[in-house]
Amino acid sequence: MIIGIPTLETDRLILRAPSLDDFEAEAGFFASPRSAGVGGTQTRDQVWRYLAFHIGHWAFRGYGMFAIVEKSSGIYCGRSGPYFPEGWPEPEIGWTVMQAAEGRGIAFEAATRTRQYAYDTLGWDTAISLIAASNQRSQTLAKRLDATLESSYVHPQFGDMQVWRHPAAGVLQ
Amino acid sequence: MQIPTLETQRLTLRENRLSDFEPLVEFYADPIRSAGFGGVLNRNDAWRWLASSIGHWQLRGYGFWTVEEKATGLFAGMVGLWSPEGWREPELGWILAANAEGRGIAYEAALAARTYTYDVMGWDTLTSNIIPGTTRSIALAERLGAKLDGSYHNDHMGGEILVYRHPSPAELDNDGNVEAYT
Repeated sequence: MIIGIPTLETDRLILRAPSLDDFEAEAGFFASPRSAGVGGTQTRDQVWRYLAFHIGHWAFRGYGMFAIVEKSSGIYCGRSGPYFPEGWPEPEIGWTVMQAAEGRGIAFEAATRTRQYAYDTLGWDTAISLIAASNQRSQTLAKRLDATLESSYVHPQFGDMQVWRHPAAGVLQ
Repeated sequence: MQIPTLETQRLTLRENRLSDFEPLVEFYADPIRSAGFGGVLNRNDAWRWLASSIGHWQLRGYGFWTVEEKATGLFAGMVGLWSPEGWREPELGWILAANAEGRGIAYEAALAARTYTYDVMGWDTLTSNIIPGTTRSIALAERLGAKLDGSYHNDHMGGEILVYRHPSPAELDNDGNVEAYT
């Protein structure tokens, strides 16, 4: 490990460091139309670099995306975590959900935990989530997390984006 | 894993840091300098590239070092082993900052990285991938004793790429240099 990436746990999920084990699932995701909400399709070589980038993000920021793994099945479900690459308006709680994890509240469970990690462990006072204007499922999840739509802007690469503001650290129990 | 630090007479080869970002942005903004390394990248993408360089170490156990000039502390470039998805075999790669040009710095750094790869990691062969027409890089490969050994289609680099094969450990002297002909 270049830097220690912690492992978190929820009822159904393990949240751990991104690894090469996640590559085929991510490559499948980025070859599919599901990727439209997070910048569109990517080739295998781009996905490999994207995975490496998420690990490097941890090294540079001291936090980053966790890989989400379902305890019962061992299935890779996607990513969630505190995230702040160059060009972001401020640090966010991000998430991306693989098809295998759809419709069972897994993203909600993971994002709830990683938001708590950002507030309790990293000491953030506030957090946003950046969501593509076209990504309605992600907006639904933001609402379920009690985030509210704050503003919109055009990102040079990702297009029309919405800034959703989570309840402040002190407000959440 | 720990990223090792290497030292040469004039250089320190160390892990990538966020302080390398601004000089890397400058490198990637220069269409001529970046042409041999995939072309121009904006700030956001340069940040992601630098992070992916760190992640490469985690995923492969080796990667690019940042080359720092001891005398000035300045970022001089990057050199190291690169084998992301889509590469035919691991390669020794390098980029050079404008301020480090013309003083044999890339040669000194690449030699240190190659020596480490052979002597410490125990590899017995090494290539460098070079985009056709990158004449300064080809000149460095040749100065390192590498010889053209075919080409392959590299999707990520957008076309055919030249493969230069370095001398094997047995073909090098104790300093990592090519044996002088007598």
